[in-house]
Amino acid sequence: MRYLLVARSLLRSGWLTCILCMLYALIMAMLAPGFASIENFSNVLVAMLPLMIVATGQTAVLITAGIDLSVTSVIALTSVAGASLVSGDTSPLSGSALATPIAILAMLATGALVGMINGSCVAWLRMPAFVVTLTMMMFASGFAVWTTQSQSYSELPASLLFLGKNGWASGTVALLVAFSVHFMLHRTRLGTSLFAIGHNPETALVSGVRVQWAIVIAYVICGCCAAVASVLILGQLETGSPVQWENNLLDVVGATVIGGTSLYGGRGSVLWTFFGVLLLTLIDNSLNLMNLSHFSIMMIKGCVILLAAFLDTLRHREEDR
Amino acid sequence: MNVPLLQVEQIGKIFHGIPVLTDVHLQLSAGSTMGIVGENGAGKSTLMNIIGGNLTPDSGRMQLAGDNYAPRTPRDAESAGVAFIHQELNLFPNLTIADNLFLTGYPRTTLSKFMLPRIDQRQLLLQSACLLELVGLSVSPKQRVETLSAGERQLVEIAKALQLKPRLIILDEPTTSLSFKERLRLFSLLDRLSNDGIAMLYISHALADVRRLCDAILVLRDGKVVGQGAVEEFNNDRLVSLMVGRESTQQFPQRSSQPSREIALQVENVSQPGTVKDITFSLRHGEVLGLSGLMGSGRTELARILFGLEPMSSGQIKLHGEHVSHLSVARRIEKGMAMLTESRRDDGLCMHASVESNMSLVVEPKFSRGPLGILSKARLAAELRQMKGKIQLDRNAQLKSPVQTLSGGNQQKVVLAKWLLNQPKLFILDEPTRGIDVGAKFEIYALIDQLAASGASILFISSELEELVGVCDRILVMRQGELKDELDRSEFDVDRIMHASLQANQENSA
Amino acid sequence: MMKNNKFWAMLLNRTPAILLLAVVAIFGSISGRFFEPQNFLNILVQSSALAIAATGMTVVLLTAGVDLSVGSLMFVAVALAGKMIANDQPVWLSFAVAFMVGLAGGALNALLITRFRIVAFIATLATLFIGRGFGLWLTNTRAMNMPDAVTALGASRCCGIPTPIVVMLLVTVTIHWFLVRTPWGRQVYAVGNDPDAAQKAGLRVQPILFAAYVICGACAAISGLIALTQTGAVSPSFGQQKEFAAIAAAVLGGTSLFGGRGNVLPGTLFGAILFQTIENGLVIINADPYLYPMVLSAVIFLAVFLDTSRQHLVANLSRRTLQSVA
Repeated sequence: MRYLLVARSLLRSGWLTCILCMLYALIMAMLAPGFASIENFSNVLVAMLPLMIVATGQTAVLITAGIDLSVTSVIALTSVAGASLVSGDTSPLSGSALATPIAILAMLATGALVGMINGSCVAWLRMPAFVVTLTMMMFASGFAVWTTQSQSYSELPASLLFLGKNGWASGTVALLVAFSVHFMLHRTRLGTSLFAIGHNPETALVSGVRVQWAIVIAYVICGCCAAVASVLILGQLETGSPVQWENNLLDVVGATVIGGTSLYGGRGSVLWTFFGVLLLTLIDNSLNLMNLSHFSIMMIKGCVILLAAFLDTLRHREEDR
Repeated sequence: MNVPLLQVEQIGKIFHGIPVLTDVHLQLSAGSTMGIVGENGAGKSTLMNIIGGNLTPDSGRMQLAGDNYAPRTPRDAESAGVAFIHQELNLFPNLTIADNLFLTGYPRTTLSKFMLPRIDQRQLLLQSACLLELVGLSVSPKQRVETLSAGERQLVEIAKALQLKPRLIILDEPTTSLSFKERLRLFSLLDRLSNDGIAMLYISHALADVRRLCDAILVLRDGKVVGQGAVEEFNNDRLVSLMVGRESTQQFPQRSSQPSREIALQVENVSQPGTVKDITFSLRHGEVLGLSGLMGSGRTELARILFGLEPMSSGQIKLHGEHVSHLSVARRIEKGMAMLTESRRDDGLCMHASVESNMSLVVEPKFSRGPLGILSKARLAAELRQMKGKIQLDRNAQLKSPVQTLSGGNQQKVVLAKWLLNQPKLFILDEPTRGIDVGAKFEIYALIDQLAASGASILFISSELEELVGVCDRILVMRQGELKDELDRSEFDVDRIMHASLQANQENSA
Repeated sequence: MMKNNKFWAMLLNRTPAILLLAVVAIFGSISGRFFEPQNFLNILVQSSALAIAATGMTVVLLTAGVDLSVGSLMFVAVALAGKMIANDQPVWLSFAVAFMVGLAGGALNALLITRFRIVAFIATLATLFIGRGFGLWLTNTRAMNMPDAVTALGASRCCGIPTPIVVMLLVTVTIHWFLVRTPWGRQVYAVGNDPDAAQKAGLRVQPILFAAYVICGACAAISGLIALTQTGAVSPSFGQQKEFAAIAAAVLGGTSLFGGRGNVLPGTLFGAILFQTIENGLVIINADPYLYPMVLSAVIFLAVFLDTSRQHLVANLSRRTLQSVA
């Protein structure tokens, strides 16, 4: 009986994933060669930054009981949009002093635009979020492939790559994004509105929350986060490609849900998402160290996400008691 | 007829420590119809749900045709020959009439033992057509339910009950959505069923209907049987006075202030097809205005229209002389409107969220600064603690704990607190005391009085006449979407209010 | 106003036909080749794999669920069949095994959804990745070419009609019959319309859902096998994003994402043909192949948008008036 109580309170607390991370790291330190080294840990920390930023935006959307499946295509689209402006010597902005800031601004604007379209369809046209963002995913990545004719852009200016290449710079950007979204969620009117909408949109409406605006803003934030992540990824990979991050969608949704943000809305936190991202990155890293192929990693991650979704269901049932 | 078909003895039911049925007994013989009448909340539905297998009684026993009868599920009741027709219809609009009639028990054929069962289409249509003919509905059984009118759906629901070959049918307010013609058709059908030996329990507010259809009447008040006998023993006046009761069982705080002369809310000719028609009234500063009417009379819809939650096709709403008809809910709240909704669970509270975040939801704009809307949490928290004391929230309740862990009365106080923090000038209360205990009710009445004394105007919607009479300065009565009567405090008379809410039904079916 | 709404409702209920007419008119006006009889037969043959997958998807959508793992399941089933054929197993046995894999995959989804109560689209999103990973492991991420015996199957004719079309008709008619003529089928509609009401009405909701996902898995496998006989190869991207095409075909055919509305015949079959007509038309007018996903996603978006509008319109029309206002 007591074990059951402990299990229940653990299920309810947001620290479950943190504990899982530590347990996993302990086990892997024994199994995977080279896992428990300072160098590897700093690798993990740097590798997780783009995912952390995308998942942060996803958290804001999931809190409203929505979902954004278009984030990976936003990354592809923005990376192409940014890179096409500045790559090589013949691009519109090559050599200009303002090249990097304009490219980054263009990327952010693209992300925000996609988010705005998603949000408007969900809020005003009342279409189901998952189909809206699913079709957006197909459209945006299709658009990226079409405009580039499936070419990727390299030879990018060092100033644009700096943010992603330099671990400290990436870390600062990620921290900044995570902190601002966290602040937005817990310290501003918008944040409390998002939680209320996720809990019960009817109640939110009756209480004077501008429900539709808040939903649109959540999707815009999510789009912008994906764009910021895209800047870092650009630096890490040194190319802008229309299939950038194509296969990482499950990581984004998975990390957020594993962290404890609920698919049913009204429950979530950037801090929890951090642990979710950490756990997924640890899994990736350790399995790589153990020389597992990428498809086995895919399967294992799929199972981990099923487990997380199952925990979420348990949690939800627990709350309804 | 020696053994009555249904015998109910000493049935009792308690919800959350509040007895809703006490020592109820009734007898019904085959082929007879009994009308069950009483105010909203008198326990009619609970009693029917017990007989229909949706609820199990806490005490007492029932017999059906001499056998012990203790249904645990609606299925049990059905197999014993008891069919229940609910007020809200349980039909699937996307399916055909025939599908709805036989959804859980299709006539089947199998080509051989090993084949899948398939629907015997011929039998299905044949039997459906028979049932439809029985209820006098001349439409094809292949038609989808969504194409039917409300009255026709009601008949389908009855056909579905007949398909079970019942001995007893329970009808809960079957006429609320019917037109006059449809109602007559239903009555002749019920007469026929009665002649065929089917017993019926008929719940309705339409007293004339009850007197026309039934052989016997049972009057419930506060979960107790207060009158029972052959229909000849009752006239309308006697029924109403039995339903309402004479002695006041509740205490109300003394009103501490008088309403001023100044008008706060002016409603002119507000109409919306299908819900309300041509509503005009005014509400003064410091006044508590009661809005009475049966469920479905349009009072909740009127409240939602006033608050901007539902559209209106014509009319004007003025708050302090200023038009608010075109404003969004959020803007109306800024202008000082507040609304406690009928259902805490549906749109009153975020049940999983904490007391604190529920309470602060409305008032947050006042505690946020700058374009980013940054909240000053400390000031807000101080305000919340103060409000928690003011509304006398349960001392064990933590601001951080989920609101669903509180009792009904405390949940309602949280809703009140959420609005009071915003210092509303016009407060619409839709059934604020539903499902809460006597002590909490008294505290809510006291809060209403305080609010009125501070100059706010209150529109108080309730099904409980006693409470309206106890708290209000003036009462409006709604019936079928229209205002039918207005009473000043000096003329308060529960009989008159009850008559005004019921009248139309008598006119129509006479 | 009432009348106006009813007009829109009528129009929205006939969107598939209107869309098809528009598509045929557009492509026909651009290229005369579009109207050749052989081209129409081609469209039908090309539609068969999609129509079968979409038929399974329709069953799931009718329950107000979704199955995103269809494409991966196709891949796993076909990869296993391909491996068996490469190891000189008889073709019929390999195909039978692939079909069983489809059933098993569907059962896995069903188990996660009905037993562990995981939201359908997350459960199937996860199985999408698990399935893809498993298939890649089976094939060692390499493409496999099939012997001629397999492609001959795809080009063969049965009573003068191309086999893929025969299989397509067989599957759609069977599932249609299940949906219309068995108690289970009618109950699927009831569950999709309102699961709580269905539970209250005494239906056993979970077994009904279970069967729907199993059928969807089986259809995915059959669809994959048809595609295999047509392409003659299993590439690592086999079946990728086919779940979206299946959803699109179903929704284009008038199946609602909100459950309880839609049909296989003519709806989904029609939707699949419409979808394929667009793809075929794009090929015939020599459109940039990179444009396909954009056009198709735009069409899906349009279909979902129309479905949503229809849903809200129906809700408005059927909002019950309270007491009849005299």
